[in-house]
Amino acid sequence: MITSEYRQSATAVLKVNEVSKAFQYASPDSQTHVVLNRVSIDVKDGEFVTIVGPSGCGKSTLLNIIAGLESPDSGSILVKGERKVSTSRDRIVIFQEGALFPWLTVLENVEFGLKLAGVSLDKRRQAARHFVDTVQLSRFANSYIYQLSGGMKQRVAIARALAIDPDILLMDEPFAALDVQTRDLLHNQVLHLHETTKKTILFVTHNINEAVLLGDRVVVMSPRTGSIKKEFAISLPRPRDVGSPEMTVIKRQILNELEEDFHFARRETRTETIQ
Amino acid sequence: MNWKRTFTLLEEKHAQKQSSRRSFDISDAANIALFLAAFVGIWQLVFLLKIWPAYLMPSPAMVITEIGDLIENNSLPIGIGVTLARLAGGFAVSLGIGVGVGLAMVKFRGFGKTMSSFAVGLLTFPSIAWVPFSIIFFGFNDSAILFVVVMASVFSVIITTYSSIRNIPPIYLRAARNMGANGFALFRHVMIPAATPSLILGIRQAWSFAWHALIGAEMLITTLVGLGYILSVGRDINHMETIIATMITIFVIGIIFDRIIFRKIEERVRSRWGLDQHTE
Repeated sequence: MITSEYRQSATAVLKVNEVSKAFQYASPDSQTHVVLNRVSIDVKDGEFVTIVGPSGCGKSTLLNIIAGLESPDSGSILVKGERKVSTSRDRIVIFQEGALFPWLTVLENVEFGLKLAGVSLDKRRQAARHFVDTVQLSRFANSYIYQLSGGMKQRVAIARALAIDPDILLMDEPFAALDVQTRDLLHNQVLHLHETTKKTILFVTHNINEAVLLGDRVVVMSPRTGSIKKEFAISLPRPRDVGSPEMTVIKRQILNELEEDFHFARRETRTETIQ
Repeated sequence: MNWKRTFTLLEEKHAQKQSSRRSFDISDAANIALFLAAFVGIWQLVFLLKIWPAYLMPSPAMVITEIGDLIENNSLPIGIGVTLARLAGGFAVSLGIGVGVGLAMVKFRGFGKTMSSFAVGLLTFPSIAWVPFSIIFFGFNDSAILFVVVMASVFSVIITTYSSIRNIPPIYLRAARNMGANGFALFRHVMIPAATPSLILGIRQAWSFAWHALIGAEMLITTLVGLGYILSVGRDINHMETIIATMITIFVIGIIFDRIIFRKIEERVRSRWGLDQHTE
């Protein structure tokens, strides 16, 4: 059963299958808000997919469902053809806030996943040092988290995820809170890591520039319908220039897709679908 | 690669920003010495003015002599030992029960809701009001004193445990679950450390409740030993030097526990977390 499903999806390492999710408001009239409506995405092994959409379009919810941190109302998540209903170490999330543990040093944070897996102290220290080195933070290995800048924190979060060696990295607006210069540096670093580690990356953002700079494929989500509006494959070589004519065309198209939604929302009298 | 160089530059700037931590410095000690000197000076002055007779207002020297006597005849060392042993025993029982009940409240929502209003009610209940109940129930013995100490502090531990764990930022738990933490590992490696700063605050408060209750209970529940008992003996024989000498001892023990032991632990945790940035 499992193997045949895997074959059907060809080389898709991750298969999001008709996932739906609605939230119940706590208000007296208890309306339901459909966040995701039969969303399906196939992600190939080693692919870098960006999901772009405005706040409230359900992209973070989708990522949480893929990670197993939330459960869908219907639909399923398959990793390498195997159905997943809870979190596991093959899909690691990098959160917007980093979610690093302030009671641990940089090194201890990076080795946290390995400690849980029961890896011996020597081995996990060694591995953690390697990944702290990978993100250029060796000098801060023994620092505590509050001593780091926002960009450095996100690099620790990336190192912590890489140390677990997941098949899929799920990045939930990881650079949204950073300044432009730091973000540019981290984009380059993430692309470099993608190139060297060949990890499959699913990257959620509301920033169109970020989406087209990073992704092999850009998935545009609509907050109005809670579903995927359109996908754009971007085969331009990296590093990309957001100001180039080809990129401008793609960005314009993505913007058109998103604006259409806003016009629609404005015409509607009930505006609760846009948060 | 270019971005690697840029990172190094940014980091060097950042490293310069980090300031070294200071601990107890000389000027603090000088301030304390000055304050003590002023306090003893005023006391001596009041004594010399002879507003009150010496049996009501003894001089600092008389009290210091009394402390020496009390140490020499062993009543102070034994009193301190017994009182601290009772404190340790009662507080240990409080911590055990309090943390256990607090965790059960987190685990079972309904129990948590009911129990938290009950515990908050008992938190404000004056601990001395447990004394008559305790004397009749246990008699004039250590158990009666321990019971009062436990009742004075256990509800604070319960509430602290419950709220500290419930107030852990959910993002830590999500990240930990994502990395494979479940059950006891989640509790041991994430929930306990994440709750520690607020747990320490609450435990420090519970300790001071226990300490207040203990001295009161020792005065009222006569067992022939303990600092509270020495106080009540001083009252019975109208000996102010004994009373003040014991009060100073109680004060010093309080300072040692609160400032030195709890403060050090708290400072360690807070500096790790970077919670003391605003004081710099």
